[in-house]
Amino acid sequence: MKGLFPLFLGIFGTFAFSWVGLTLVPNFQIGHLDPQMDEDGNDAYPVPRSGMAERGRKVYIENGCFYCHSQQVRADYAGSDIDRKWGERRSAPRDYIFDRPAPLGKERLGPDLSNVGKRAPAEDENAPAAASAPSPAASPAPSASAAPSADASPPAEKNANAPGKTATSADSAPAGGQLQPYSAAWHHRHLYSPRSLTLDSNMPAYRFLYEQRRIGGEPSADAIKMNRREAAPEGWEIVPTYDAKCLVAYLMSLDQSHPLKEVKSAAAPPAAPAPDKTAK
Amino acid sequence: MNPAEIPLKAPPNVADISAADVEQVERALIDASTRVPVLMFYTSAIVWLLIGTLLAGFVSFKLHMPDMFSGISFLTWGRIRPAHMNVMVYGWASMAGIGTAIWLMARLCRTTLRHPLLLVAGAAFWNFGVLLGVIGIVMGDSTGYQWLEFPGYASIVLFAAYTLVISWAVLMFRFRRGDTIYITQWYLLGAFLWFPWMYAAAQVMLFITPVQGVMQAAVTWWYGNNLLFLWFGAIGLGTAYYMIPKVIGRPVYSYHLATIGFWSYALFASWTGMQRLVDGPFPAWMITASIAATILTIIPVATVGLNHHMTMRGYFRLLHYSPTLRFTIFGAMCYTAFSALGVVMSLRSVARYLHFTEASIAYSHLGLYGFFTMVMFGSMYYIVPRLVGREWRYASLIKLHFWGSAYGVGLMTLMLLAGGLTQGASMSDPSLPFTESTQSILPYLRGRSLSGILLMGAHFTFAFHFGLMLFGLGRTASVPTFLNPVEAEHGGTET
Amino acid sequence: MNEKPSQRVRQGMDYGEHENVQDVHAAIQREKREPRVGLEPLSLWLICVYGLAIFFSGAYLGHYSGNFSGDGLDPMGGPPPTKTAGAAGTGGATTAELSPRDRGKKIFAANCQTCHQANGLGVAGQYPPLAGSEFTTGGSKRPAMIVLKGLQGPVTVKGQKFGSAVMQPWDKTLTDQKIADVLTYERSEWGNNASPVTAEQIAGLRKELASHPDSFVESDLEAVPADAELSGGAPAGAAPSKPGEAAKPAASPAPPPAKP
Repeated sequence: MKGLFPLFLGIFGTFAFSWVGLTLVPNFQIGHLDPQMDEDGNDAYPVPRSGMAERGRKVYIENGCFYCHSQQVRADYAGSDIDRKWGERRSAPRDYIFDRPAPLGKERLGPDLSNVGKRAPAEDENAPAAASAPSPAASPAPSASAAPSADASPPAEKNANAPGKTATSADSAPAGGQLQPYSAAWHHRHLYSPRSLTLDSNMPAYRFLYEQRRIGGEPSADAIKMNRREAAPEGWEIVPTYDAKCLVAYLMSLDQSHPLKEVKSAAAPPAAPAPDKTAK
Repeated sequence: MNPAEIPLKAPPNVADISAADVEQVERALIDASTRVPVLMFYTSAIVWLLIGTLLAGFVSFKLHMPDMFSGISFLTWGRIRPAHMNVMVYGWASMAGIGTAIWLMARLCRTTLRHPLLLVAGAAFWNFGVLLGVIGIVMGDSTGYQWLEFPGYASIVLFAAYTLVISWAVLMFRFRRGDTIYITQWYLLGAFLWFPWMYAAAQVMLFITPVQGVMQAAVTWWYGNNLLFLWFGAIGLGTAYYMIPKVIGRPVYSYHLATIGFWSYALFASWTGMQRLVDGPFPAWMITASIAATILTIIPVATVGLNHHMTMRGYFRLLHYSPTLRFTIFGAMCYTAFSALGVVMSLRSVARYLHFTEASIAYSHLGLYGFFTMVMFGSMYYIVPRLVGREWRYASLIKLHFWGSAYGVGLMTLMLLAGGLTQGASMSDPSLPFTESTQSILPYLRGRSLSGILLMGAHFTFAFHFGLMLFGLGRTASVPTFLNPVEAEHGGTET
Repeated sequence: MNEKPSQRVRQGMDYGEHENVQDVHAAIQREKREPRVGLEPLSLWLICVYGLAIFFSGAYLGHYSGNFSGDGLDPMGGPPPTKTAGAAGTGGATTAELSPRDRGKKIFAANCQTCHQANGLGVAGQYPPLAGSEFTTGGSKRPAMIVLKGLQGPVTVKGQKFGSAVMQPWDKTLTDQKIADVLTYERSEWGNNASPVTAEQIAGLRKELASHPDSFVESDLEAVPADAELSGGAPAGAAPSKPGEAAKPAASPAPPPAKP
């Protein structure tokens, strides 16, 4: 080949083509999304995180959680994510508009976390199930039992988790029974000692996020209750650091269950608020 | 100093001076001028290689022994893994690649290396940047973008270092002699121009004026794959295009194949990347375009592979002797395997099983190690004796290195692929608990750790051997160090 | 310099290698010349490989393109791509394509469902039901009044007393069209079977009530005949049928709920 100029031109041209094609054009298409609102500008989704959850996101990133945990639900035609109850619909670009970076994840050495906050046991017990009107799980319709989250009663909780068998299939084994899966206390104990809750877990423990300290006066309310083998010695307790609390707040905030217009909410009958009234 | 201007010492018999003699003197001068910068890049690269190997071993063992050091924040898996990756990518592979590229550029531009200070400063800054970045990651300052985890302060230093290197490369081109541009130079020039562009584009789109949400992931993988193909791939292929015909002393088979191979590579390989986000929250066309581009990389791969094969035809016995050739050909074959694996894994019907599994790690290692690193080892075995004026000390160490690396990367790829298949199979069956998939892969992860030990042995062997060379402890013989004794009938051939 | 020594090939000798050349440049001296390129032509089968690769990737791209749109997340094109009406600004485009009843359903889900519940049964003692309620299913004037101006104080629906909650006026928040839509939905959902309401009717009532300062109480409603229809005329023949289902196959006993 003779002459530098055609070489330069070709090298720039080919690369510019890919740069425009794979970053600029998609950015034009999906790079400027707004939160979805209903017609009256209410009920915005998603909303930016703040406070502890935002700080928890940083803890999540800096400790590389996203290398093993994805945060994306694939559609029903690809993979079994929805069958595993990791979400009721596939993830869409709009779910991530406030994430920086968007922790989509590349591998699943741990379960998907897109909706782990949604799976937490409901905090307010059987209140008129009102607040989360659009959320399918809040519906009193009988079919809603498919959503594992809404039920606050422990037996139902176990039941609801069984079909998913996500991370907690073995949790009954070592003294984890009394903790409701995906509650804040459960997360703390899981981060401190994953294998005390899930025998088969491969997750490293994150003990550096917890401190063991002498009980001064009253035991702290948020101390982790471990079983005998791992428990702190008499007079000591294991308490989460602020980072650990933030991380758990972040995990509890992960929820992509809000329906999006551009995505069909998977073959999920519970998405219907109620049976479409009597047949005629 | 322009070698053409150097007055040759008048030999006893002027009539004996042939063109070949002039060329030899010219090469000697060029090699001497590249000595300091290239050795500096090589030495740093090898130090990073050892660090990265140790980190890799740690990462690999911790996958099946998760409770190791769980109380120490900077030894947590999620920090050591990106540290390992960035040390390997920016510390080892990039520095080795730049070292080889400098030497090749000087040789092919047929001019002594000008402004070596630019390169020495570049190497120093580069080392500093990588060190800063790795410390940043380990201390919990990772940006969270894969392949770009270095925090901002380290990225700036790296970019400054790179600017020094590229300005040197442009100067070299300016002073080149001879008007044909050899194939290797296309690839090297491409790599030198593509890298700053993709790096700057990714930095701007992720940190300076960040794009929204999932577009960040798109930019990250656009960058990651282009780094793999257009930076490492281009340097690796360019090096192979030099080393193979050089060692066997035969022209490259076909100029036409080379042209098609280069331009189709530039056009198609640059469009890959999104297939790593398959079925994610992206417009389907982006993913599909990358898959289609991956399929199209069959064209450059087949072309380049054929070109190398035809060049080698009839000379394969040399693999028995020449370390350079053996490493380079192994790398070139891994490149073909890597690309074929890439095509298969990118297809949606396959990706729905293999996405999110360890198979993607197998893919990356086959490309970065099986192909690129092996080609770099090959070029080091060729170049270093020319820089230090000594031959490699022990053929046995070279053999140990080759087989350790070859078996290591082979075992690692097989283990991760097989593990990825079982993991994917159990993950896609919703009737199995999720933990089934992480349990099913454990034996393979242990096997991978074994391959890591092989690689570690190979790397320390190589580093030791390189250290001997560096301290002038190589052989002073006039013959190169062959892997095996050369049989008589293959002895003296043409000059 | 290039004087040939006797060719003594020994173990470890390279091809073209001589023993007694200068040590320092030994490597360079034995080097082959710099690489050159040959000019072999392309082989036919390689061109076939090119063709196959281009054909296959082109077909792949065409097949899984998702229509090249930014919303086409599904590579097969998926269900008819509903427009991203996410941004409030573009909401109108979607609304125009839905039937009044479907629009009403969404408005109901966003504004009314919190209290009256998705199944229209309300909450005992607090929020009166809409399903089967005499207010909802009677003449269209009474429910329209309630929605426009709100309701407070005790009220009796389906024989049960309610009164602990206040219904806010919606005339400031919802347009005539939306009120009409949501009323149409309420009056045809949950087994209710009353006439649809149009935006013009609501506009008329809005004018009529313009001077009414605050929420109604039950006695205000009592003053209006239970079967009073809004003026402005109902759509012809619409009374018994469910407008929302006009286009749906009549055979399906329980039509699947509209996707959001």
